[in-house]
Amino acid sequence: MSRFTLLKKAKEIGVITERYPYKPTKVPEGFRGKPEIDPEKCIGCCACIAACPPNALTSLDENGYRVIRIFYGRCIFCGRCVDVCPEKAIRMTEEFELTADDHEELVQEVRLKLVRCSVCGRYYDTERHYRMILKEFEEAGLKVDPEVLRRCPEHRMGMSAEVIGLRRVRK
Amino acid sequence: MIKKSIWIYHLNTGGCNGCDIEIIDVLTPFHDAERLGVKLVGSPRHADVILLTGPITRQSMEKAINAITAAPDPKFIVAIGSCACGGGIWYDSYATVGGIEAFYKILRERGVKPPKVIYVPGCPPRPEAILHALAYFKGLASKKIKKRVFVEK
Amino acid sequence: MRILRLEEIENPELKEIYEEIVKRFGDGILRSELIAGNKLHLHVEKGFLRKVSSHIFDELGAFYCTTAGVDERPLGGGFRAYHIFSIDEKNLFIVVSAEASPSLPRLPSIANDVQGANWAEREVRDLLGIEFDGHPDPRRLVLPDDWPEGVYPLRKDFRYDLKEVPRVKKQYPMRRPEAEEYVMPIGPYHPALHEPEYFRLYVRGGRVVDAEYRGFGVFRGVEKVAEGRLTYTQIPFIAERICGICGFTHSSCYCEAIEEASGIEIPERAQYIRTIMLELERIESHLLWVGVACHLLGFDTGFMHCWRIREGVMDLCELISGNRKTYGMNLVGGVRRDITEKGREKALEYLAKMRKELREISEVVSGMSELTARIKDVGILSKADARKLSVVGPTARGSGLKRDVRVDHPYFAYGKVSFKIPVYSEGDVWARLMVRVEELFSSADIIEQALEGIPSGDLMAERIEIPVGVRGLGVTEAPRGENIHFLITGAENKIYRWKVRAPTYNNLPSVPIMLKDESLADAPIIIASIDPCFSCTDRMVIVDEKTGEERVLGAEEILRLARRGEIR
Repeated sequence: MSRFTLLKKAKEIGVITERYPYKPTKVPEGFRGKPEIDPEKCIGCCACIAACPPNALTSLDENGYRVIRIFYGRCIFCGRCVDVCPEKAIRMTEEFELTADDHEELVQEVRLKLVRCSVCGRYYDTERHYRMILKEFEEAGLKVDPEVLRRCPEHRMGMSAEVIGLRRVRK
Repeated sequence: MIKKSIWIYHLNTGGCNGCDIEIIDVLTPFHDAERLGVKLVGSPRHADVILLTGPITRQSMEKAINAITAAPDPKFIVAIGSCACGGGIWYDSYATVGGIEAFYKILRERGVKPPKVIYVPGCPPRPEAILHALAYFKGLASKKIKKRVFVEK
Repeated sequence: MRILRLEEIENPELKEIYEEIVKRFGDGILRSELIAGNKLHLHVEKGFLRKVSSHIFDELGAFYCTTAGVDERPLGGGFRAYHIFSIDEKNLFIVVSAEASPSLPRLPSIANDVQGANWAEREVRDLLGIEFDGHPDPRRLVLPDDWPEGVYPLRKDFRYDLKEVPRVKKQYPMRRPEAEEYVMPIGPYHPALHEPEYFRLYVRGGRVVDAEYRGFGVFRGVEKVAEGRLTYTQIPFIAERICGICGFTHSSCYCEAIEEASGIEIPERAQYIRTIMLELERIESHLLWVGVACHLLGFDTGFMHCWRIREGVMDLCELISGNRKTYGMNLVGGVRRDITEKGREKALEYLAKMRKELREISEVVSGMSELTARIKDVGILSKADARKLSVVGPTARGSGLKRDVRVDHPYFAYGKVSFKIPVYSEGDVWARLMVRVEELFSSADIIEQALEGIPSGDLMAERIEIPVGVRGLGVTEAPRGENIHFLITGAENKIYRWKVRAPTYNNLPSVPIMLKDESLADAPIIIASIDPCFSCTDRMVIVDEKTGEERVLGAEEILRLARRGEIR
């Protein structure tokens, strides 16, 4: 009896096999596919790098550039980088067909210009981030000497408001 | 790369089972890889392609080398999942070799010629991603990813 | 250094137990404390370890959970082993610990009194170098064969990313077969599923007389990586990758442990979401197992049907969480993603369909006499053995032990739903199959009730502060049984020690008992019946010990013979 039940069942269900790869497949909304950095929005703050559990996101400062690098070969597609990005520069795409011949193909790199410390002259932050801070000061109605603000963490220590030349602009 | 039917051997080198189950899933009714001529075989000696999952743990490494050398030439490896492609979340652990790149370095040191490898990232990759890799092998699908570099002007 | 006073314990049952322990072993208890109202920590004098442990195990009827070894030298102590026991019917945990000296770490072994501790003590010895005096089987357990002696990776002075540990040539010592005995290696590679694990069966005339296991090919150093590199918010993601079938239960268990240790109250909605995802995972895992069991019995049609039904739950999880398997929804303090209205509808739709189809399949399976004949009275684990080894999950419930963490130690929203726990007393493969099939229906019940009763609200706790040096114990019911995470928090957002005990760890030592005196052809389904994440229709080598002649059978051949029951 039972064998016929299954035969009947199979007939009732019919063919369920999908047509992929001949026909494309759809992923549901909110699918966590390949994360992508929007290079126009990224400020190189490295919050994603601190959050990434498998260290698929790395950063390296070389030749006056900060290289933010994401290696999809190690990415676990958790989406923590999206959660922590202050600029919403990373998003999970719907791409999942990531077949590659070489591991170098599985890389996205964003190279952002660095600025030098006005005291010691070493590179310490991205230009975008520095400009952003400057703008934030301005928007808060605070005037600051750009040269003084451009200091590496080491030389920023012990700086008081007076040292930066900070004074409220009277309107 | 291979026009004829692909016989695959599944080699788990210490993966969490996520990718391994998705490989089985590829062979079940919904995805049915057999329509692409893909057949799962029980011995590496019969295989054209080795589906490698896992970060290659220290304990499984010797066995994995044996299995890979046992496969006849020409052979290919498909590294499935983040662990196999780049070591995954345990890439720097003392107990793993840390992915296919580091594994190939050891193979070369031992004088074993490493077979060509295809990467399928994902954690775990969707069954369609595995099918895509197999279809890419047979020339039925094209590669969709390439390295992208942005340099700030 | 203080001892808990009796008045400090509110729970009357625990008070009684504590009173008795103090009365009997008062001098041996150096320190005691109570965590979360039901977890009693006893720090005992070395010499009392065995006495206290066997009192808890034998006289209080506790189950043995696991042993966690901790290197407490940086905290000003020595090496400490925490033996964890649970008293299921009273929802209590008792943790007995003793300290070994930092220079020559030795502790008395409890494995002779509590058989289940055999593996856990070997693991502690491997990873921390604590010698257990009087251990019945002091062989290596988790470390690779080529790992040198005297290098202990879980000690705090070992770097987690040290890859250059020299390789030594060494064979794992296994018992030599006696005359008339054949050896059947199963593993380390399987043609279809699963992990690099190795079983060695000793066979006499087609009957299995003994079995040995050498596994841990999947030993990836999870605990050390988590302690060394990851912050506490990153650990749920590594926890989820401990197992690719029941990963969510691991991340939930970790979160439960740390939330309990730091007193974080997670919002009710998050608790419901965790419950729903845990049960979806159970459905996925049990359907997978029923399918694989059908496959091993040669009933591939059933395998394909089960996996067809399973595909629906995978799609559902993908819709809810964004990934088919690694949901990535847990964070310390709550969940990251909500279950949307669409997800709710789809879930209810799927559950109704699954019930109907599963009923059809299970009727077919239980109606096929040739199938049930292969699993009834096969691979029996008696209730006494099950209790002795402290097996967990469907393996325990198939042997007549009514233990289920969801009811015994309710967590998340399990206290607010009602469901049936199937218990069978036969102890054979059939019983374990039926337990899992019936659990699929109870899981559907739980999800439906949870989706009905889910309150609206936040997903994350507002205040998340993790104090340094507190101990947490998380327990969840994974598809395979009780899952335990024990942790000690550390400074700088890191975990000082994190011990994971997956359910298979307690179940695997029962396999040799099940295999004893069974036909070799039944070995694959018996090993698979505990759902160990690997089965064993592997390539086998039959070595004739007398002539040294080797006969190698291919997987296909073995599978064919196994299905016909022809290996004799």
